[in-house]
Amino acid sequence: MGNTLRGDKAPQRIIQTISIIGVAIMLFILFFLVKESIPILKEVSIFQLLFGMEWYPTYDPPDYGMFPLIVGSLSVTLAASILAVPLSIMLAVFISEICPRKLKELLKPVIEILGFFPSVVLGFIGMVVLAPWMIQHLEAYSGLNLLNAAFLMGIMIIPTVTSLAEDSLASIPKDLRDASYALGATRLETITKVVLPAALPGILQAVLLGVMRAIGETMVVLMAAGGAAIIPLSLTDPVRPLTSTIASEMGETPVGSIHYHALFFAGLLLLLLTLGLNLLAMFIERRARRLRA
Amino acid sequence: MDRKDKIIVENLNLFYGETQALKNIALTVPEKAVTALIGPSGCGKSTFLRCINRMNDFIASCRITGKILIDENDIYSPETDPIELRRKVGMVFQRPNPFPMSIYDNVAYGPRLHGVKDKGKLDEIVEKSLKGSALWDEVKDKLHKPATALSGGQQQRLCIARAIAVEPEVILMDEPTSALDPMATARVEELVRMLSSSYTVVIVTHNMQQAARVSDITVFFLMGEMIEYGPTQQIFTSPKDRRTEDYITGRFG
Repeated sequence: MGNTLRGDKAPQRIIQTISIIGVAIMLFILFFLVKESIPILKEVSIFQLLFGMEWYPTYDPPDYGMFPLIVGSLSVTLAASILAVPLSIMLAVFISEICPRKLKELLKPVIEILGFFPSVVLGFIGMVVLAPWMIQHLEAYSGLNLLNAAFLMGIMIIPTVTSLAEDSLASIPKDLRDASYALGATRLETITKVVLPAALPGILQAVLLGVMRAIGETMVVLMAAGGAAIIPLSLTDPVRPLTSTIASEMGETPVGSIHYHALFFAGLLLLLLTLGLNLLAMFIERRARRLRA
Repeated sequence: MDRKDKIIVENLNLFYGETQALKNIALTVPEKAVTALIGPSGCGKSTFLRCINRMNDFIASCRITGKILIDENDIYSPETDPIELRRKVGMVFQRPNPFPMSIYDNVAYGPRLHGVKDKGKLDEIVEKSLKGSALWDEVKDKLHKPATALSGGQQQRLCIARAIAVEPEVILMDEPTSALDPMATARVEELVRMLSSSYTVVIVTHNMQQAARVSDITVFFLMGEMIEYGPTQQIFTSPKDRRTEDYITGRFG
């Protein structure tokens, strides 16, 4: 028995070591993030940080209110989701259920390749194409605004959501579709009453992953959202999400300053937001599995 | 046996691309009786079964010539709506395939499609169908529990209830017991006998004892051809064709 296992031991050890290193690095990053963001709490109360309306970190005295930044992140993400999610789901249904196989074999890779589009290029398009168009046609006082960023971010998450939702639809067994057709259901009835409900948990997960990606997205919002730390009152107001705040300010901040720690705290907030969404996705999957088993 | 012919098949040929899967099939299926299709794997019996409710329409490379008449209407004529046809010709599949919803919703799925909205009427249909598939007593207290929690045999009887809920005239069964244990198989077989008093049943089976037990008419298929057709008793006791005899005595298959 010992002999037969010997060949298995070495690879097992190697894999174990590698995964421990991986987990350790992640934990170290988390530790670093928490450690660097704690000092800000000694200077500013957490309530002031989370709900303060003024973000003027370089003024004297400085203001570290992140509420506009949080609202900026959430509003761009929400608007992007409203634009992209219905479209992505319809696209997924079309690819998985309706279009002929030849077209499907073309569409799926094309959409997945769209997901590799560098976000800086999208941001560039936002600046030179969308922004002037918005000033001309939407009477926006700034072309770089919430809607512009949301539009680009929507384009960014469509491939992710479409591709994952399509996988979920495709995983619904053919048996179920056959059963529905055999009862005299049309294709539309089969899609809306059997396939979509059965694939719903997977589709929700796809949406959550897309949303997570949107919250963490930096380049597009840095380039196209306008960068004003205000609470947006209309779609054409500029916003300053957490991510672009960190990206644009971190380079100019003295290491160890209050501002520096405040930016780390913003990073921690982002992490908590995505973590929350992740947990939600896990919860949905677990519930779905229980229902199916 | 002098029953009316429910289904008449004339010169039916079926091709998958260039391969011919069914060759010149001609037979009649009597009304309110069980007709069993037997034959080795790949002989075309399931393919033939799926011609009767046009489930082969979904296969792009599939081409059919010849005629299938149900109540004297050609189901492959351009006037026939396959959706209408499938309301009249129900189907039970090889593996139980309940929808991932409640027992009640599974049975009510078909009637709801066809426009039954009244709750009382739906309740009535669900109860009647579940009684018809001998499942009522086992599930009447958990109608709103997920159907997937039932055992395999119960799931298959649920699928039968789901099929009869739309009041079809013909029920096609594609090896309905191949995924079930012997006890569950016995119950489904009993049910098939029961169903034949009100429905025309066509059942594909791998299991010759099953064909002998449940059917009135047996059809023997081999390599896409219909070899022999006749009352079950006669096919199993004095087959006319040598190949039928070899098959039922277990020399191949």
